Amino acid sequence: MSHSARAATFVADAERTTWHDETLWFVRQKRDKAVYAVPEFQQLRELASQIKDHTLSRLDEYLQQFEAAARRNGVHVHWAADAQEHNALVLDLIRRHGATRIVKSKSMLTEECHLNPHLIGHGIEVIDTDLGERIIQLREEAPSHLVLPAIHLKKEDVGDTFHRHLGTEKGNHDPQQLTEAARQHLRAKFLAAEVAISGVNFAVAETGGVVICTNEGNADLGVNLAKVHIASMGIEKLIPRLTDLGVFTRLLARSATGQPVTTYTSHYTQPAEGREMHIVIVDNGRTQQLGRPDFRASLKCIRCGACMNTCPVYRRSGGHSYDFTVPGPIGAILSPNIDLKKHSSLPFASTLCGSCTDVCPVKIDIHTQLYKWRQVLAEAGEIPTAKKWSMKFMGRFLASPKAFGLGGKMARTGLRLLPYQLTHATAFNAWAVARELPEPPQQSFRDWYRETVR
Amino acid sequence: MSSSREKILAAAQANKPAQTPLPTIPDFGGDASVERFTQVLGSIGGRVVWVASPQQLVPVLHQLFPEAERIASPLFASSVAVNAQTPTQVLANVDLAVLPGEIGVAENGAVWLPEANMLHRALPTVTQHLVLVLDHRRIVATMHQAYAQLPGTGGYGAFVAGPSKTADIEQSLVIGAHGARSLVVLLY
Repeated sequence: MSHSARAATFVADAERTTWHDETLWFVRQKRDKAVYAVPEFQQLRELASQIKDHTLSRLDEYLQQFEAAARRNGVHVHWAADAQEHNALVLDLIRRHGATRIVKSKSMLTEECHLNPHLIGHGIEVIDTDLGERIIQLREEAPSHLVLPAIHLKKEDVGDTFHRHLGTEKGNHDPQQLTEAARQHLRAKFLAAEVAISGVNFAVAETGGVVICTNEGNADLGVNLAKVHIASMGIEKLIPRLTDLGVFTRLLARSATGQPVTTYTSHYTQPAEGREMHIVIVDNGRTQQLGRPDFRASLKCIRCGACMNTCPVYRRSGGHSYDFTVPGPIGAILSPNIDLKKHSSLPFASTLCGSCTDVCPVKIDIHTQLYKWRQVLAEAGEIPTAKKWSMKFMGRFLASPKAFGLGGKMARTGLRLLPYQLTHATAFNAWAVARELPEPPQQSFRDWYRETVR
Repeated sequence: MSSSREKILAAAQANKPAQTPLPTIPDFGGDASVERFTQVLGSIGGRVVWVASPQQLVPVLHQLFPEAERIASPLFASSVAVNAQTPTQVLANVDLAVLPGEIGVAENGAVWLPEANMLHRALPTVTQHLVLVLDHRRIVATMHQAYAQLPGTGGYGAFVAGPSKTADIEQSLVIGAHGARSLVVLLY
């Protein structure tokens, strides 16, 4: 199913679409306010971009430096070429400890690998502990945003979900009380967990440590109470030096939610005494993307979600319409790398307005890449038949001044004479489904030019 | 060594672009004032309270947290003894942890808390309320200056900026998600 077909079900509820649009625009405005408060913000973006470019240009060396440092710290390092290997590794580690109760803190990589169903299928209880993630886990949904996974839900939806699963009072949808109910429910899970799985925001090659940023403290609580910590990281999370964190910690939360910094910026370098720390370094298509010069900059992404909050298409179509772990503009350039056929409609889910590129804290040329993917897709024949033929026809039509002149005349007359029901019939004219056709001008530009310019 | 390791490293080496330089990070300067720190911490749900000296904490704490019974701290004779081996059940019942912070960051209200100052790694998040005690002369302007002052990050350490919070239910800000329900920075 294409993005537009999935989006159609979302936009069918006009009120909810408007609310979704406004909610995300509010986050975008908070981002602007936070950004303008930092005089050197544009300089920080440039530095972040350069650091990431440099890291990618020496990725193999930094991966080895990171691994060696982590091993010196007493951390176990594992490598996974793809999602399947990652999941098998994690399950094996859990089984080696005879564990069945797992808490997980937000990790889009484990989401990308579909780790939860794998573990649950093997009899392991895995609880997502970020509140938004827990809400959608209870509802058996996927996250619809990178940092605001339940942004598509209203408080009434959460109230119903908690009433059903956590026994809160029916009709209670007060965010404060619902959060308190989740706190009590999840605290029991934290205290009982034997293994904690987390994602990684930044991995520092110099120290061999990983940094995890949360507002709720769920990663810290989970990791620091459980006997075993398993951190899953994509190879693109690397940065060279501890001092580089100064740049990224100033950019991440400001770009994501408009906060000056996340509540917890935690540095995990060595396991606590008597405990274990494992890092799983995952490729899953990333080295392939590194080999595509037009698209490798997408690996610089720090997963702040700013491009989603600003995207006029994402805001009005919802994260689920992208049907990919990472939705929105960044998802639309990451997904064709994974499966060109399946995600062929995503690079078209954009107005190419460039707003995503403007807000990106690491200066990824998102809208340029969207445009480039379209060309790749057209060449691979991965665009809908109607679009392919109409483009071919239009190309020929626009190349012939005679045909263009005649066509213009016919359109101007036709639009005036033909009945509205016919010119706006949605069966022939998909354009008119949600748009009004323009008023036909009396005269063509060509005629006007001939008369005016002598 | 796993074959996946070799495969990933070989692919990264083969596919990487031409080398680009690693920039040096300027200091950027900035406002390192107590006023700025106080204002930003307030805006993210925390609070600054002044004490005359770290020796005079206890009466201030009684005033701020009259209900707190089980208090853990390395700074005075506290009611719950916590160390790295303290069992989860004991940690889970701590009402208040009072821990020494190392560096404050004026721009974002964060305080650097290294493992050595935590008693137990889970204490700053498992406690119901958290107090960080900080020398006002240790406030710097930005994260750049904070990292420049760190000799390393030890085995574990965290910048803590305010109480645990969430906005996952319809973007309504709720203080007290999983970690500490409140954060007070006692400046001296």
